[in-house]
Amino acid sequence: MPERLNKPKRSAVFMDLGLLEYSRALDLQIQTLQSKIDQTITEDRIFFVEHPSVFTLGKRGGEENLVVSRDFLTAKSVDIVQTDRGGNITYHGPGQAVMYPIVDLEKNKIGVKDFVHGLEEIMKLTAMEFNIDADRNKRNHGVWVGNSKIGSVGISIKRGISFHGLAMNINPDLEPFSWINPCGLTNVSMTSIEKEIKSSADTDDLSDDDLTMEQIKNAFIRHFSSVFNYSIIRNNDHSKKTKNKQAVVA
Amino acid sequence: MKEINDLNLPDDVKYTKDHEWAKLSEDIVTIGINDYAQDQLGEIVFVELPEVGDTFSEGDEFGSVESVKAVSEMYIPISGEIVEINESLEDAPELVNESCYDDGWIIKVKPDDVSELDNLMNKAAYLDMLKG
Repeated sequence: MPERLNKPKRSAVFMDLGLLEYSRALDLQIQTLQSKIDQTITEDRIFFVEHPSVFTLGKRGGEENLVVSRDFLTAKSVDIVQTDRGGNITYHGPGQAVMYPIVDLEKNKIGVKDFVHGLEEIMKLTAMEFNIDADRNKRNHGVWVGNSKIGSVGISIKRGISFHGLAMNINPDLEPFSWINPCGLTNVSMTSIEKEIKSSADTDDLSDDDLTMEQIKNAFIRHFSSVFNYSIIRNNDHSKKTKNKQAVVA
Repeated sequence: MKEINDLNLPDDVKYTKDHEWAKLSEDIVTIGINDYAQDQLGEIVFVELPEVGDTFSEGDEFGSVESVKAVSEMYIPISGEIVEINESLEDAPELVNESCYDDGWIIKVKPDDVSELDNLMNKAAYLDMLKG
């Protein structure tokens, strides 16, 4: 296809960080961003991660949307972290798939609006793989199943390079979302892929093999590649078994 | 996003590689983001402004705009002191989308060295950069 010849694919290295504290993942994002600004790293990088339970605030805050006391969170051992991303308060926890693309939007001529739209599209396409009809909603950005939110987006751009990213509920404990007005919205319920599968099958019986983080990771890689025209190189850094092993998957 | 040919790029301002514009008038430089920037950012919901009296060096971050769940930094194209900020953006950030060269201007700067403006691009050079 001549068009493809004229437009070589963009490329990024994809790294699965496993379960990692929010602040450590943020440090890694900022180090990577700085290395890209300094041009000591030229390729784009995409981090895939789950965080232990944490609330994060957007650049303009969101603590007013915390509906429980700080003492309550202290008792539950859940931190609140101030960030400089767009959007309002949100929750991250195990069972939620988080992806942080550190992508040179300026060099790749990807507009901010289009990038956010594409991140939403990745979550929508991922939900579709489980026969879940997810879509955008005029109430807010992110991805919704009816009136319940399943995925959120919040990014920052420094020197034309993106950081922060998206979070999609796979099978997390959804209760902590009830301690906030997610994204600053009241009367919003949150859902997850697991909850939607169970409600459509009308069963509580879901085997561990039916829904794994590995499936979600592979779906994110595939859809990131197709939505943004990237070839993605997997680097399973967090796993000792596969350390230094790289394979082109898309 | 708009096609390059559809962009509103006035001839009487200078452009930066970060998609801002600057215009000198009576020793004061007015700075904003250009039509390409406002279009690719999407609906702007908040503009973080510096304070009058703040001083910056060319290339420093001086504020940010938040659109569609994205916070994007802005960089000052000339060294100097902030002499005025567009306070109407606090209540009406959408002015940046609606009127990026007029009502949606962002800061006014008293430049340390006005010749720094010579480093900026005219419309033709900026268009070449966008197409490049």
